[in-house]
Amino acid sequence: MHLWPHWLALIVLTPLVGAALTPVVALIDRRTPTWWALSTMTVTSFAATMLVLRIFHEGPFSYVPGGWTAPYGIELHFDEFSAVVGVICLVGWLAVLFSSRYTDSLPEFARGRTPYYYTLLLLNCGGMIGFTVTGDLFNLFVFMEVLSLSGYALVAVGGERIAEMAAFKYLLMGAISSLLVLFAIGFLYGITGTLNIADVTARLHGFEGPTAPAAVALGMLVVGFATKAAVFPLHVWLPDAHAAAPSPVSAVLSGLVVKVGVIGMIRVYRIYYGSGMFDLTVLNLVLIWLGAISIVMGAFFAVFQDDVKLMLAYSTISNIGYIVMGLGLATTYGVIGASVHIFNHALIKATLFFAVGAIIYRTGYRTLTDLRGVGRAMPLTAVALSVGAISIVGIPPTAGFLCKWYIALGAFQADRPFFGFVLIFGALLIFIYYIRMVNAFYFREPVHAEVAEAKDAPVSMLLPTLVLASLCLIMGILGRVPLTFIEPGVARLLAPLGG
Amino acid sequence: MRRPIAISLAFLAAVPLLAGVAGLPVHGDPSAPVHTHVSARYIEHGVEEAGASNLVTGVLLNYRGLDAAGEVTVIFTALIAVLAVLTVASTRDADASNHDGRVRRSDADRRHPDHPVSPIVHFVVRLIAPFTALYAAYVILHGHVTPGGGFQGGAILGGLFIALTMVLGKERTRPLVRPVLAPWMQGAAVLTFAAVGAVGALLTGVYLGFPVDPSLRIVRDLMLIALEVGIALGGAAVLAMIFLQMEAS
Amino acid sequence: MLTALWHNIDYVASVVLFCIGLYVVIAKNNLIKKFLGLNIMETAVFAFIIALGVIEDGQPPIMTGDAHGPFASPLPQTLVLTGIVVAVSTTALALTLIIRVYRRFGTIEADELRELE
Repeated sequence: MHLWPHWLALIVLTPLVGAALTPVVALIDRRTPTWWALSTMTVTSFAATMLVLRIFHEGPFSYVPGGWTAPYGIELHFDEFSAVVGVICLVGWLAVLFSSRYTDSLPEFARGRTPYYYTLLLLNCGGMIGFTVTGDLFNLFVFMEVLSLSGYALVAVGGERIAEMAAFKYLLMGAISSLLVLFAIGFLYGITGTLNIADVTARLHGFEGPTAPAAVALGMLVVGFATKAAVFPLHVWLPDAHAAAPSPVSAVLSGLVVKVGVIGMIRVYRIYYGSGMFDLTVLNLVLIWLGAISIVMGAFFAVFQDDVKLMLAYSTISNIGYIVMGLGLATTYGVIGASVHIFNHALIKATLFFAVGAIIYRTGYRTLTDLRGVGRAMPLTAVALSVGAISIVGIPPTAGFLCKWYIALGAFQADRPFFGFVLIFGALLIFIYYIRMVNAFYFREPVHAEVAEAKDAPVSMLLPTLVLASLCLIMGILGRVPLTFIEPGVARLLAPLGG
Repeated sequence: MRRPIAISLAFLAAVPLLAGVAGLPVHGDPSAPVHTHVSARYIEHGVEEAGASNLVTGVLLNYRGLDAAGEVTVIFTALIAVLAVLTVASTRDADASNHDGRVRRSDADRRHPDHPVSPIVHFVVRLIAPFTALYAAYVILHGHVTPGGGFQGGAILGGLFIALTMVLGKERTRPLVRPVLAPWMQGAAVLTFAAVGAVGALLTGVYLGFPVDPSLRIVRDLMLIALEVGIALGGAAVLAMIFLQMEAS
Repeated sequence: MLTALWHNIDYVASVVLFCIGLYVVIAKNNLIKKFLGLNIMETAVFAFIIALGVIEDGQPPIMTGDAHGPFASPLPQTLVLTGIVVAVSTTALALTLIIRVYRRFGTIEADELRELE
């Protein structure tokens, strides 16, 4: 069953076709888009399961739509890093479920935004899935635009006061970064005559001729994807956008969409590590430093936020810092830790945003001061929030621990112990804001009657939150599984071609 | 203050970019990899393999069909994004303006509802409308032999719709965007790609595959034309509906 | 270096255009002007990619009966066709957002918006 060859085409196709049909099914009834989106994501998740099973069995594999073998046609390539589609489907599915009640509370949605909202959510997931499984540079760009455009719109749909402004800022920076990527693809195409990632790598291996275009392309790709990933100092769009979006969207944007930038960087690194054209030490050092600054700065700003969603948004910058630092370390441990943190942070951040979203839905408040005492009023939601918070600090035995531990090991392996300490310092800062939150939620008297009288979230919100929270614990206990799973992928990433 | 920063950033970007383009193969050089690697096969065998004399159409729909599928998804995304962002209650806007008093009345309120159109414009648009439609059909259906194709024809169709709406008023073009039909039209391009891709999967065993067997040439041509028409209808619908939504809000 | 640049003057033109666009995006205060800057950058990148496919004394890659080579590469043209559609989509969404920002705040000047936020 899992060897049926078409799963790879189906996983790209299903969310996009499902999205195209969502406005159609919305004609039937007001509720149908929710069910339709849920069933679309179910089919997609099933395909993702089949793909992950297949890669466990036989390693990376390809599919060529149209039957034109690479480099003449477009190749879909599923490798260990593409297994992130599993978490994309999971979080996407849960976000749809979470939205079913949540969107009712948004005033704008009563007037017909709902079907468009689900369409955009499906398009966003479809774009991300396409981005992670494609093996073609230009196709990468096309799917990146699908997910970026839907992302900009999703930020704006919530109806917050600054939502449209935040979305515009996001769009401006996102569009410039997309252009940098496209320009770089042009450069690579100009010197190799091909767009297939594997073929570009092969043709750059032992490349004779001026290397300047390839170097410029590398710079632009890294800057472009770093903007998408919100690495310091290109993070300025993130806090407003993620805080202004509806909470399920924040979970998808913060947990998944920023990771697209990181996965893009991994794809780029494959080209340059594989071709062995350049010594990447300097670039890696820059990435390590930027990662370190992101960790400390993101955590620092998070500590001083009163708005819970803004705090989570800053903590995303901090966590992206960990991933980028791990990539920059370029040691096996560092890169393995970084790759697994892509998975785990998606789970953790989605837990946190779901829990916070449920709290905002019930109480209508979103600052620590206003939400005092909410932990006693909404016990289950608050427990999920605490599990997420513990995971994001990286306390064992939760999902956040092992990958941060691996990145720290990577720092020592790379003989840069300083950055190991930066990492621990960042975790301590994060610990402070966790303490602030627990203190406010459990040990302070409520200031608002609504908070004291709030009930736990409705099932459609509680279920996704609790599922993710328990996954944070399970992934902590089974932490070795993803680490060993990603290892061959990392080994292939770091190895030069033919060597 | 912002200007010096902008100038220095622009120069900072210019220097590496210029160094990069200086290292590219000489412009127009026939021995550059762009011409000798992938494109060489397209030019050599493109016509019989892809089934279109216009190689751009062949590459777009056949060799790199998934790009075109992604592309129609992008415009569909844009349409849905515009619809989502602009589906707002006018009452909420009114509330906002009462709140801080800064927001002026929206343009729609100020404009006269039945803004008169110059009789010359009115006449000319109606005069050229059938020819524009014919031209659009030609561009769409001849995309595989002449420059043009679904996107270009769709843009012409969409432009025609917008011109007619502006001149004749919304009442006259509304039958074209009936609420039952509209969502199908919005997704027409994406759905056509999925359907043709599935047919291809049945015939050739791969998604978006086109039969290369000479006896099935007619099937392949029909599939290509279906794609062109689907892209054109979807593209036109997207343009028309973005226009209607912007005007309505 | 200068000779290489002179031979690749088409690419140089797109680089210059790209930087002009970048300047406009950063320096201008009005959101629509910022976005126009982005459109200039987009055009620059498209011009660059189209220029990659040009061949000396080339013909358009349309293989009708009496056409004879050398033909320009069809691939960059395909890419730009897709790119243009992407650019149009981004423009539509950006203008929509600007409309909404204007409705809400009554201005689309970036510095005034910063004060209002």
